[in-house]
Amino acid sequence: MKTNFKIYTPIKRNCYLIALGLLITLGLNSCTKNFEKFNTDQTGIPDKDLKVPALFIPIEQQIFQNYQISQNLNADAYAGYSCPPQTFGRSLYNMNYVFVDGWNNSAFNQIYTTIIGPIKNKIAPLGVKTSLPDFWAIALLLQVEAIDRVTDKFGPAPYSKVGTSLVTIPYDSQQSIYQQMFLQLDTATTNLQTFIAANPGKTPFVNSDVIFGGDYTKWLKFANSLRLRLAMHIVKVDPATAKAQAEKALSAQGGLLSAVSDDAAIAGKGQNDYYVITASYTDNSMNASIQSYMVGYKDPRIAKYFTPIDATFAQPGAKYAGQYIGIRIGSDVGAKPAYSGYSVYNYTNTFTSTAPQLIMTAAEVWFLKAEAAIRGWAGAGSAQTDYETGIQTSMAQYGVASGAAGYIADASSSPIAYVDPQNTTNNSPALSAITIKWDEAAANEVKLERIITQKWLAMFPEGQEAWTEFRRTGYPKLFPVVNNNSNGTIDTQIQVRRLPYPLSEYTANGTAVKAGVGLLGGADNGGTRLWWDVDKGNF
Amino acid sequence: MIKKLSITYLFIFIGISAFANKNPRLLGKNKFNSGSRSAFGFTNLKQAGPITGTVKDSTGMVLVGVNISIKGTKTGTQSNVDGKFTLSANPGDVLVFTYIGYATNEVTVGTAAALNVVLSSSAKGLNEVVVTALGIKRSEKSLTYSAQSVGGKELTAVKSDNLINSVNGKIAGVTITPSASGVGGSSKVLLRGNRSATGDNQPLYVIDGVPMSNSANANGQPNSTYGGTPDGGDGISNLNPEDIESLTVLKGASAAALYGSQAANGVIVITTKKGKAGKTTISFSSAASISKNAYEPEFQNNYGATTAGSTTSFGPKLTTPAKNYLPDFYQTGNNFTNALSLSGGNEIAQTYFSYANTDARGVEPGNKLTRNNINLHETAKFFDKLTVDANANYITQQINNSPTIGFYTNPLTGLYLFPRGQDILPYKNSYEGPVGANGVPTQSWPFQEDLQQNPWWIINRNTNISKRNRIIMNASVKYDFNSWLYIQARGTVDRTDDSYDQRYYAGTLAPLATSNNNGSYSGSDQVYNHKYGDVIVNFTLPGKSDFKLDGLIGTSITDNFTSGINWGTGSGGYGLIIPNLFTIQNIQVSNGAQGVNSGSNVNTLANNHNQIQAVFANANLSYKNWVYLTLTARNDWSSNLAYTPTDRYFYPSAGLSFIVSQMVKLPEAITYAKVRGSYAQVGNTVQQYASNPVNNAADVNNPPSSNGVTLANRPPYPSLKPEKTKALELGADLRFMGDNLNFSFTYYKSNTYNQSIPITPPAPSGYGAGYVNAGNIQNKGIEFTLGYKLINSSDFSWNSSINGSRNINKIIDLDSKDGIDIYQLSNTNSYRSYLAKGGSFGDIYGQTLQTDAQGRILITAQGFPLLSSDFNKIANPAPKFQLGWNNSFDYKNVSLNFLVDGKFGGQVVSVMQSILDAYGVSKVSGDARDAGGVKINGVDPNGTAVSTIDAQKWYTSIGGRNAALGQYVYSATVVRLREVAVGYTFALPKTAAIRSVKLSLTGRNLIYFYKKAPYDPEVTSSTANGLGGVDVFNQPATRNYGLNLNVTF
Repeated sequence: MKTNFKIYTPIKRNCYLIALGLLITLGLNSCTKNFEKFNTDQTGIPDKDLKVPALFIPIEQQIFQNYQISQNLNADAYAGYSCPPQTFGRSLYNMNYVFVDGWNNSAFNQIYTTIIGPIKNKIAPLGVKTSLPDFWAIALLLQVEAIDRVTDKFGPAPYSKVGTSLVTIPYDSQQSIYQQMFLQLDTATTNLQTFIAANPGKTPFVNSDVIFGGDYTKWLKFANSLRLRLAMHIVKVDPATAKAQAEKALSAQGGLLSAVSDDAAIAGKGQNDYYVITASYTDNSMNASIQSYMVGYKDPRIAKYFTPIDATFAQPGAKYAGQYIGIRIGSDVGAKPAYSGYSVYNYTNTFTSTAPQLIMTAAEVWFLKAEAAIRGWAGAGSAQTDYETGIQTSMAQYGVASGAAGYIADASSSPIAYVDPQNTTNNSPALSAITIKWDEAAANEVKLERIITQKWLAMFPEGQEAWTEFRRTGYPKLFPVVNNNSNGTIDTQIQVRRLPYPLSEYTANGTAVKAGVGLLGGADNGGTRLWWDVDKGNF
Repeated sequence: MIKKLSITYLFIFIGISAFANKNPRLLGKNKFNSGSRSAFGFTNLKQAGPITGTVKDSTGMVLVGVNISIKGTKTGTQSNVDGKFTLSANPGDVLVFTYIGYATNEVTVGTAAALNVVLSSSAKGLNEVVVTALGIKRSEKSLTYSAQSVGGKELTAVKSDNLINSVNGKIAGVTITPSASGVGGSSKVLLRGNRSATGDNQPLYVIDGVPMSNSANANGQPNSTYGGTPDGGDGISNLNPEDIESLTVLKGASAAALYGSQAANGVIVITTKKGKAGKTTISFSSAASISKNAYEPEFQNNYGATTAGSTTSFGPKLTTPAKNYLPDFYQTGNNFTNALSLSGGNEIAQTYFSYANTDARGVEPGNKLTRNNINLHETAKFFDKLTVDANANYITQQINNSPTIGFYTNPLTGLYLFPRGQDILPYKNSYEGPVGANGVPTQSWPFQEDLQQNPWWIINRNTNISKRNRIIMNASVKYDFNSWLYIQARGTVDRTDDSYDQRYYAGTLAPLATSNNNGSYSGSDQVYNHKYGDVIVNFTLPGKSDFKLDGLIGTSITDNFTSGINWGTGSGGYGLIIPNLFTIQNIQVSNGAQGVNSGSNVNTLANNHNQIQAVFANANLSYKNWVYLTLTARNDWSSNLAYTPTDRYFYPSAGLSFIVSQMVKLPEAITYAKVRGSYAQVGNTVQQYASNPVNNAADVNNPPSSNGVTLANRPPYPSLKPEKTKALELGADLRFMGDNLNFSFTYYKSNTYNQSIPITPPAPSGYGAGYVNAGNIQNKGIEFTLGYKLINSSDFSWNSSINGSRNINKIIDLDSKDGIDIYQLSNTNSYRSYLAKGGSFGDIYGQTLQTDAQGRILITAQGFPLLSSDFNKIANPAPKFQLGWNNSFDYKNVSLNFLVDGKFGGQVVSVMQSILDAYGVSKVSGDARDAGGVKINGVDPNGTAVSTIDAQKWYTSIGGRNAALGQYVYSATVVRLREVAVGYTFALPKTAAIRSVKLSLTGRNLIYFYKKAPYDPEVTSSTANGLGGVDVFNQPATRNYGLNLNVTF
């Protein structure tokens, strides 16, 4: 014990000296040399270590982020494709025209924070514009694809000034956004054409592209097709630009999406969104409108799109087993499971957990060409050929190509009435008598209804574009909401025209959104028409 | 370095002191007259010359600042912080010891070299030594700010499973809100209001002078009404209340200025028990209590399910009224705490050892807490110069099934929403259904809804376990160079190992578990290392002048390091490979198709490492014992400020106090009067990584490659500046009629500027998060305490004290330079919390009903009320005024203590009530149906007045998950009988081995004298900013009844 104690004594003195040393060291020369290391999150990747191609994967996959609230509970339903079998614990919600801010805000915000923001704030500063013009082309195309989804839902929106501030970001008019999109498509197509010509067969993007697997020729086709789609959106408000842009697209080097293998779809997104909302959430049923058309037309795609009535549910009941019955938007569906047994999206064969999600199909482009043809635009070819190729392409896309010939030749089938087995209030006669078979002698208006109706059936489940085309053309004729609680702001027959801006803009970007509403030229509600949505005839 | 140092200290000093206990002579024992209880004692003979000595009170506590003068002369001095004094006197001189609150003592100088003088107290409290910042003891009268203490006895009289709850209602200006997370749950402690938009706003806890951590496990605090993840706990709840000698709250910035950044929200200084020289004491305490729900939601019993199989209860009248099935679920909670402590030692070395075991279960089945605390505290003094003090705490704790708040995996949703009139017992008796396709049982519950599952499934098949192993080791060495100068070095290592394990069995509702329905497994292992070290040189200038100066200079380093891993089959994950095998290896990372791979399911937690280094100084100047000036200055270097223009910040404080009763002659009735004032600045650092965001590897499920990157969603903020609080405090302390009546009053005002406020910028900024450097959040208010000894006879005494406080929080400015007046703190469905200019911290926003110019509610064509499209300010839970009333009665061997406290003003909201209404299970929804509908003042689109609305249409519109929360605002005023203890002390003969036995009956939360909200408004969903004052299926507050036994040997 004694020895131990003696050993300890000098250590005590050392401690004292160390303590004094510490005082001097810290007091006089604060040792802060590790501070930068401490304040760097070691689990992350500093900007200097970023590799450009890898940045694109998450961006491409964000196009459908928060799908249920960003698109399914607004555009998909308003396009007549889907309807949720429950009211989500509310009596007033999007389906009966009272907007739920917490749903719609994602449609606006997500695109900025996950696509346009990262491109403008992170990818552009890396010098990609000049150092990697091919990647910059993709970045531009993704921005166009993304902002179009915002502006066609809301109207004026921030675009040119995105990323310039943390507090106020001004809005561009919708016209200006369309002008910018066309200019960006110019740059993107030029860059891609140049790269493809100079580097035939080269695929630097192959490891980081979940849309086209790195194939720039397909990206070029997508760019040209996107131009055609956007041109058609503005045909009523600015026919001259529409024609010029469409003709530019129709004659563009690289061509358009034309075969099923050209279809643009996002792969590897974890779980397919339609699968998640249908199978996991059980929130995604067939809309009565698409039932009316597909059942009426005996459409061979119906079994691919939807599942027939599930007899295990009490409603609508076993006697309807095997039929396809959808839900009319605005019905009093209450809580689950009252309407859970109605037809739902087919998640066992088509919208499986791993299925890629379509953003644009060749079939759609054929129908765009058909419309261009009846409008007499150069390079569109024959409307009938385009129309029929559109149907064939779509049938092929869903593996029912054999049914295409009979379908195209069907001159008698037409949409059927809707009968809700549970509630007659929701019943409606068929709204259109339009048939399938092409009639070259028909008036342009009839031809247009035929084209848009078939385009709508082919474009399923992409409700964003279908809703845009419904608003632009009035086709297909969709069942209006059963209950309209908008207190007069939305006309039941004309139906909803846009989504109101999210509340987050009013709280965080107040001055700008108010100016944006000024650019909109009407109240910030669902009844105000967008810039391209002119209240006049199609021709 | 610090870690090594402090561990070394600790072991060395435990060794030395243990050794010293056994070999006292080696260390020159007998220099002091050990254990002296006489008024004074002489030791060695001396010649004429300087007299030294120590002044203590009758309990052996040293007395600081005692005036010592030689009778008939002007010569005098004061005792220092250790109670010591040196004075030149001759044998035969009479020394006069005067000290406020104590009987004056006169001692004739004899021939002894050292005097041990004991003053007996004439009035309590005045000269209590207050443990201030850095553990420095100061006499209360020299304090220039308010500090209030609670003794260990008050903390253990009525025990709670989180000791800080025992402070509730006892200290003015302290707001304690326990969270609704069952046994062992965390509590939010606020001193003088919320100041900071970024931090947790909770005070710094300091044990024996050194800071400890108050950290949660990797779950942190719930911050969403969705819930799903339980409370991560806190640090203060881990301690054994029996180990605490006293707890002092330093509320103001002035008090805390020396601790700097970490103390910007105030400090709670805990002094732990030490061994005492003299007789060995063994104490044993055993507390047993039971707890029951203090209230439960009210249900309607007349209407059944809307339609067969539906989840709501808007159906036809029931033939027999529904029964209350809550008793089928809730159980009686209990808490058994047994603690043993041992204290002893001699003048050289003292030992305190304790062991405590806490075993508790909550009112929700499955919720259990087990805690063991072992504490060893050694103090020793060598060569009359060197004092060492070492304290080691080892804590193990396990909490099973912490109740989650919110919608998901909360048993209360299914329990409360179950359609009225149906039989829930089959679901209790077998929560498992038939074996599913994957070979394991499914869940037995009639509904498929994210909001609800079978309650018994949740408690048995959605389980969670939080384990904590914690070691806190403190060591301090102090060397007295002479009577006026010492140096002290201290270190602490506070290491917390947390593990969390959460299992969702196959059969759990798919969106909550995983797509393959094989169950999911998640958890975390985290180590949090908090280290602190300081060196202080303290001096008291010797001299006989009327001016006296003492002070210190010092330096400190605080280092926090978090590391660990988490794993899980989170959302988008595929679940387990083999159902219900909960191992990390069994987590499916690929779904086997298309080579899709979701990447690793095991991630490292951020290795957060931050450090604050500081130098500081303090000077105290006094004149004639009636005016005291205190100055402090501190400079911090913070690693969180790396990548900003400067990583340092400086802040000073100044305080002044006058003992008016010594300055001038006051009327006889006023025994003591002090006025004080102080002004302080306290800096605070910014959040870690705020200036330097990085990008992350992305889990991109990408077939061609997996080298995705998720870009930082926050811009770097290189110009971020540290936060600054400027605080002013004025107050007075008065004592009347001897010491029978005392009154203390404080006014304070603090403004916090330059906060680095985490904002959600507008989405078109392209960022999802960001910081702005702005803000001016003001807290001002008053606090008072009033104590009165109503009766003080030898047989019967009655002491009563009242403390009260009022805090007004105002957001004077947010970011007007950027034109921003509102920021969002949290946002889920119907509930939002914003910081808005002109508002105050904690404002709750929600939708209200749309009305026309005449105030009539707009009713749609379909007959539904219309909700406002924007969110309006509807509530703020902060009480406007708090009052606590403590009483203690002693009659012979019987004692009675009770505490009534009230929180007045403020509003809370109930998301739960809105959902119960929308499901038609609540009593109000039933009453409305009985009455034929809800009476309203409304108008339809045609302008026709609507006076009655169908109950179902009304409640499904205003209620539900997306409610018009404006309809669910309740007064937060609550007055309760918080604590009661009736005790009896058995008189034992002095010769008995057992010195005392005390038995007491206790109660906590027994009576709500006033409560208008449908739940206890004090209980919070989360101690994080932004979820205060909201009930989202919170577990009810409980009422506790207990029995305590204390035995001292």
